[in-house]
Amino acid sequence: MKKSTVDILCCPVCKGDLELRIVKELTRESAEDEILEGGLWCRKCGVEYPIREGIPDLLPRTGDNC
Amino acid sequence: MQGDPHLDLVNPYPLHEQVYPPDEDTWLLLGAALREVRPEERVCEVGAGSGVIAAELSHRARVFATEINPHAIASARRLGVDIVRTDLLSGVAGPCDLVIFNPPYLPTAPGERMDDWLELALDGGVTGRDVIMRFLHDVGRVLSLYGRVLLLVSSLTGIHEVQAACTEAGFISFVVAERAMDDEKLFVLRLTKDICRMGSDIVRSDPR
Repeated sequence: MKKSTVDILCCPVCKGDLELRIVKELTRESAEDEILEGGLWCRKCGVEYPIREGIPDLLPRTGDNC
Repeated sequence: MQGDPHLDLVNPYPLHEQVYPPDEDTWLLLGAALREVRPEERVCEVGAGSGVIAAELSHRARVFATEINPHAIASARRLGVDIVRTDLLSGVAGPCDLVIFNPPYLPTAPGERMDDWLELALDGGVTGRDVIMRFLHDVGRVLSLYGRVLLLVSSLTGIHEVQAACTEAGFISFVVAERAMDDEKLFVLRLTKDICRMGSDIVRSDPR
């Protein structure tokens, strides 16, 4: 996921802002930085949505996918 | 669409069997999108499937896509699409200048359901309009004031019914592309917010 894409995402449940936590990113001179591993934290819901292999998973957290 | 020359150009990877393969609807919507998109715009393709439309538009604008099917996400990612796993627009805040959607639009009786990922890409509920209605209810939230939506609709889904739903949801809609097929006719609708009616009681927040 491109770093700037975070600005237009929201929590799928409360529609609140998400805070980006970066574990691993790819920096390139020719293109925008890409987040490979990390999380998107919703402070209001107290939930972190994972970013794995560059893909943020913004499905509501349930017992099955936490 | 085996042997379609478009496929060789834009999607050199064999698609997973659970991913909707690009077809006439894809190419009609892609053509309309290429005519519509302006440089540097923020574009969101909803339910991007194989990702061929988002990948083509990525050369011209700031494009990202949503998808729920993990096999389709893998396909779109291979094409370099910036993709987010979410249900339609539920994890998207916007604002977006252009939203593109080729929805599941086939009328499907409960007994016909297969309950797999490909089914989800096709099944529009009994009327064919279930997912379109959910989309129309939410897309205004992520669209910038002068933003546009390109929505693919089939005659099987009912173009007049969809346009009536667009009006109820507060949009003005026009047909900007169409193509007759053997057993259906495909349309691309261009939606903009009906700014003159904003705040009026005529616009219901819930088109259902």
